Amino acid sequence: MSLRSSITIVASPRPRVGKTLLARLLANFHLQQDRSVAAFDLNAGERTLAQFLPEKTTVATIRDINGQMALFDRLVADEDTTKVIDLGHDSFELFFSVTHQIGFVEEARRRSVAVAILFIVTPDHTSIEAYRSLRARFARAALAPVHNEILGPAQHRDKYPLVGGGPGLVRLPVLAPGLRRYIETPPFSFAESNMAAANIPLAAHIELQRWLRRIYLEFRELDLRILLADLQASIRLNS
Amino acid sequence: MARPAVILVGADKGGVGKTTVARTLIDYFGAHQTPTRAFDTEWPRGTLKRFHPDLTEVVDVTSVSDQMKIFDTLGSAEAKVTVIDVRAGLLSSTLQALTDIGFLESAKKGQITFAVFHILGPSIASLEEIAETARVMGDANYFLVKNFINNTTFFEWDPATYNSYFKRIKGAEEITIPKLNEMAYEQVEVASVPFVSFVGNKGAKGEAANYSFVLRGYVRHWLGNVWGEFDRVKLVDLVAPKMESNVRQVAG
Repeated sequence: MSLRSSITIVASPRPRVGKTLLARLLANFHLQQDRSVAAFDLNAGERTLAQFLPEKTTVATIRDINGQMALFDRLVADEDTTKVIDLGHDSFELFFSVTHQIGFVEEARRRSVAVAILFIVTPDHTSIEAYRSLRARFARAALAPVHNEILGPAQHRDKYPLVGGGPGLVRLPVLAPGLRRYIETPPFSFAESNMAAANIPLAAHIELQRWLRRIYLEFRELDLRILLADLQASIRLNS
Repeated sequence: MARPAVILVGADKGGVGKTTVARTLIDYFGAHQTPTRAFDTEWPRGTLKRFHPDLTEVVDVTSVSDQMKIFDTLGSAEAKVTVIDVRAGLLSSTLQALTDIGFLESAKKGQITFAVFHILGPSIASLEEIAETARVMGDANYFLVKNFINNTTFFEWDPATYNSYFKRIKGAEEITIPKLNEMAYEQVEVASVPFVSFVGNKGAKGEAANYSFVLRGYVRHWLGNVWGEFDRVKLVDLVAPKMESNVRQVAG
């Protein structure tokens, strides 16, 4: 079986851990690979992702059944579009509960679409438990812990065991001081054309590119690991 | 040949989800490859027939000729299981009629497997109905179904009162039908297809349909839970013990 595209959910039950930034980077990574991309902003009222990626982002809610239908029915349709979900912390529980109940991951797999969960790790008990629960509930999704290095050293890494045969840890390196103000003012875009056009000093531009390259390398490895896991799974099925 | 099984699905009140339970039963037996036929006593309308037109016949259970149609054919019909959706308020009188024609006697002798699914409504009148049916039932397989599909609030009942009625029927078992999302329920109604067809995204004639994936997911999850309840009370063993043992043999 070959994968047609992927759906990546950027998640954490904690606020302000860098979910939206990671979702932006991921969407831009896929765009840079010439993939058709759709992003979904599930943050109550904030719309940060929508400000940075206005043409690609749908603001969604899953509070009621109509919202759930609008979101999930679109996620399973159009298999050739790569999808990125910025899942707000206050929708975390409900989102995964619905996902589990309706058999979303299985349906996506049936349509040759990989589902990945990028889980930003933090040392608190809630997150550790949430990660453990996702591991138990979504055996067919690729669950990858993400270490956002701006949150400090990850001494709690052992609390987030990697899934056997699944993706490894994804690192989100710290951006050099002084550069954050560029990327955090909408409508900044990580697209090369935008960065060249924006009034960013050359040194800063180079530093940003270096940072992006490191992240994209992580994403590329993640992609490969998901492909590899899928290949291994299909070999096991055929033998 | 396995002996025929008759399942009465009834309630003393309308609107407690009797037909819904009958539909899940028909789907359940279908999934277990047990040939099933159904009688809908909501004569002349027939809600059940709308969902399962091929195996449902609408009858007037109070008329002798229709009683013959149902009970005289038990041995000869291809279907091993007969599900009868008894119209609201007719449960007691139907059971009485079954006593009169000697049907309950045959059930007692073990010539026929007989089970009753009594769907409970939210009011105390339902409980009095239990007492009344208990009198007629003897030791048939009796299932008290708490139907939460539309989120009826049962537990306004006093548990002591409930238990005192519940204990009047020997070996009665409780079945809980969980809540199903309203819109999912409505869309199956609109589609007028069996639950399994809705889950499989199929229309009434097996053609491809275009139901919402989310709603199909909710129905699949819900139906799985309902069937889990039927599994728990060993419903397949009850209606088709022979077939089940064959399956076990094949499975080694």
